[in-house]
Amino acid sequence: MSDKIGIYVCECGPNIASRVHIDKIMEDLAKLEDFKDKELVIKNHKLLCSVDGKKFLEDEINENGFSHLVLAACSPRDHDTTFINVCKKTKLNPYMYRIINIREQCAWVYSDKDVATEKAVRYIHAGMNRVLYQKPLNETELDSNPDVLVIGGGTTGIEAALSSAGENRKIFLIEKEENLGDLTSKLKELLPRQGSNLNVLKQRISDVQNNKNIRIFTNTELESIVGFLGNFEIVLKNKKSDETTELLVGAVVMANGAELQNPQELTDFNFQNDDNVFTAQEVEEMFSQSDKLTLRNGNEPKSVALVHCVGRKDLGYCSKICCNYLQKIAHYINEQSNNIEITEFYKHLCLPNKEDQEYHQKITDKVNFVRITDISLCGTELNLTKINGENSTLKPDMVILATGIIPAKDNPKFAKMLKVDLDERGFFNEAHLKKDPISTNTDGVFIAGTTKGPAGISESILQAQACAGKILTQLIPGQKIIPEVMVSEILEAYCRGCKTCLDVCGFGAIYFDEDKGVSIVNEAICRGCGNCVGSCPSGSIRTKYFTNPQLYQEVKEALR
Amino acid sequence: MNNNVLIIGSGIAGMDASLMLSRAGKKVFLVEKLSLIGGKIIKNEESFPNLDCSTCLIAPIQQDILQDKNIEVMTVSTVQKVEGTAGNFKVKIFKKARYVNMQDCLGCGMCYPPCPVSQINEWEENLMEKKAVYVPTAGSLPNVPVIDADKCLRLNGTEECNKCAEACMFGAIDFTEKDEEIEVEVGSIIVATGFDTLDVSEMENLGYGKISGVYTALEFERLFSSNGPTEGKLTLRDSKKSPESIAIIHCVGRDDVGYCSSVCCTYSAKHAHFLKHKLPNAKIYNFYNDICLPDKTYQKFHEKIKGHATEFIFQADRNKMNIIQKGAKIEVSYIDKKDIKNSVLVDMVILANAMVPANSSTELYETLGIETDKYGFVASQTFRIGSVATSKPGIFVAGCAEGPKDIQSSVIQAEAAVAQILSKN
Repeated sequence: MSDKIGIYVCECGPNIASRVHIDKIMEDLAKLEDFKDKELVIKNHKLLCSVDGKKFLEDEINENGFSHLVLAACSPRDHDTTFINVCKKTKLNPYMYRIINIREQCAWVYSDKDVATEKAVRYIHAGMNRVLYQKPLNETELDSNPDVLVIGGGTTGIEAALSSAGENRKIFLIEKEENLGDLTSKLKELLPRQGSNLNVLKQRISDVQNNKNIRIFTNTELESIVGFLGNFEIVLKNKKSDETTELLVGAVVMANGAELQNPQELTDFNFQNDDNVFTAQEVEEMFSQSDKLTLRNGNEPKSVALVHCVGRKDLGYCSKICCNYLQKIAHYINEQSNNIEITEFYKHLCLPNKEDQEYHQKITDKVNFVRITDISLCGTELNLTKINGENSTLKPDMVILATGIIPAKDNPKFAKMLKVDLDERGFFNEAHLKKDPISTNTDGVFIAGTTKGPAGISESILQAQACAGKILTQLIPGQKIIPEVMVSEILEAYCRGCKTCLDVCGFGAIYFDEDKGVSIVNEAICRGCGNCVGSCPSGSIRTKYFTNPQLYQEVKEALR
Repeated sequence: MNNNVLIIGSGIAGMDASLMLSRAGKKVFLVEKLSLIGGKIIKNEESFPNLDCSTCLIAPIQQDILQDKNIEVMTVSTVQKVEGTAGNFKVKIFKKARYVNMQDCLGCGMCYPPCPVSQINEWEENLMEKKAVYVPTAGSLPNVPVIDADKCLRLNGTEECNKCAEACMFGAIDFTEKDEEIEVEVGSIIVATGFDTLDVSEMENLGYGKISGVYTALEFERLFSSNGPTEGKLTLRDSKKSPESIAIIHCVGRDDVGYCSSVCCTYSAKHAHFLKHKLPNAKIYNFYNDICLPDKTYQKFHEKIKGHATEFIFQADRNKMNIIQKGAKIEVSYIDKKDIKNSVLVDMVILANAMVPANSSTELYETLGIETDKYGFVASQTFRIGSVATSKPGIFVAGCAEGPKDIQSSVIQAEAAVAQILSKN
């Protein structure tokens, strides 16, 4: 088939028409030397994105049977999608079309109409050069599995499982320990933001156990995972029996939680195991089990010091929940006895929820709050500097430490398996901190709870529900998945097998074929970012629709 | 059981929920009281902690919303009446006339210059004027102006002015357009009405409204923005000069409202950074009491700015801050860390004022029949921990309508609300 190129110049009302010579553009294009053996149809329209304009374009494409199409109009951010959709209604493959921005880049930026016109001709000419090198691309459809693997059987994982499970969606919930919801069972009470009824949380454990769409694997770890959104092949392994289970899922929720820092590893906090120094978690557990705070010898302490922000200096971030749970512990102690002197040592109070300040104020007249700039511990002896610069030493009967939340030790292992990035602290990284905070750089892998950073119970539950929201919208039972079309491809003959592309791929879309000794792109995962193209020392990779010849043809005219 | 969803408010929470529900095949009615969508984020040129360009963050989302066939966007609209129960709500929406045809208008802006009327632009925090036919800010989406019927000489009956219509080359101005009452049927509702900031003009000790160099945080955001009233030039409203010294006051109104707004410490650090960037020789002070940095990334951001841009000064009592005009300068006096009264002289003060429930939201929450907490935010149901459910089945809440929070927490709530709706049907 010989080339027949349609070229349509949009006037954008007065926006383009009043700032360039439309007729001159069309005349100059018709006279192009290098296109004189090509059949060109060059027309203008008042407003191509209007209902009339779109119909006009559709009819023109159908009547003329173009092999290529160039539209000179506005920014592709405004109407590229509009015109792709017009092409889709016709026989023309949408990847045989190119939009050229003569509004923002020509009409609007020059006061001299002739200069704008000349530049517009060049840009359109560049686009005409380019389209000749474009190839039709076709969307493919992939089957997808709606089932979900949830890693971690704590409060977060349980919530993710319960919110995602349904008649047409099975959930596989794995927990490496013996029991589900371990941490919750160690709490005495909840904070105001978390509701007043701890039984609600405990009820969730039996809910998940009784849900016929949720299969629970305790003592189980993830052995391997390969695949992409809608199609992950996973192998689970029982730690005790070594028995393995192979499953297919469409998505993964990481809810493996976090750990607490060991204060004895901190240089400023020196104490032995038999000293009356406890972590807040140990105290919460003590209250939950015996409802009573006691020293190691079984007696009630007369004075207790609560220390905020332990280890924060080294961690470099706020653990977010400690100020609140120390208030809770102060409440417990005060309920136990009015005679116990409670002092809290803090630098800043972090009370970020609307319920927090009121809760804090309920305890302020029962607790001595001391603002400090520095603190160190030797046994139960505290050496501190107050905000006003005074130094002081005191030795309460008991010291309770709010230690920092740190990433789980197995995060790096999971990150590697799931091809997901960790942040500089070792927590899982968000796809975008603000606009996509529970997705990761791998489609189909979601993160919730302390796996992505310090978080309280209510926040973790919301994040788990948000994961369910993503899964329920991205993996609809029976619906096919359409992967990106403009993906990278590797020319095997040129690939030297250096594996540089594997390192730069942010999506884990490239794997190495050991037999052939070449890298291969998994087109279902690739997003066409082009990182691999730039990194390849042998020039064996190209991204469809952005190949070197296409770009060269465009640039050579634009920069002439 | 009706599968349609009504979303009230088109900020980040409302937009995110709309797009997700549309992707799941639901019909969405997105109701917004202003003439543009996007919410508060677009008032900030750059958003913390990674200082990415807010427009670049939001514009693609706005475009996706406007081009989505499953989402019916209703701007200049408010919810009037809600009847029925979960699964079957009948909602009456009052859609004000825009007087500009959305299909015909191209957003070229030719209609503004000839308009003879000037009025204060609230969207620009009252820092500039707009015409009776206007878009709230450059870059508004949808990029279609609205005519203020109270101010327009023709529509308010003052005279037969036709200047905007004459200037429009597309015949998009339509003075005959009428307000409409539209009834829609939906199965679920998401309340994403956002927040406003505390009116500080009543707080005598802060001098706001009397001392011209005292700004609110949102005013400063607009002042800094390149599409704002000064095109990003940091000049004071009276002297038109750049300030040489600036005090940023944290926790303004916190004890009056009774809660921490959780984002002010981080955006106040951002403001110090903005100032240092544009006015490298300026002296900047951040007056704080507690520093609240509730995300893994915020402390690093805070420390980076504390190190190079500003001096952080501890004030022992938030309520003893006093701001007065002293000659050409502004005196900021405070109780310092040694419990002694101290002061600095500056040219400009920026107040990080508390977040409060959105204006006129009380009425809306009554219309919806949902409970609020003692502060006026929507009460989420605490018997379901971490829930986005309101007191009324079928109605969910997301974002700052539930209480102060950052962008990511708003998005997470929106996505959680979507899960609640989709798992029900």
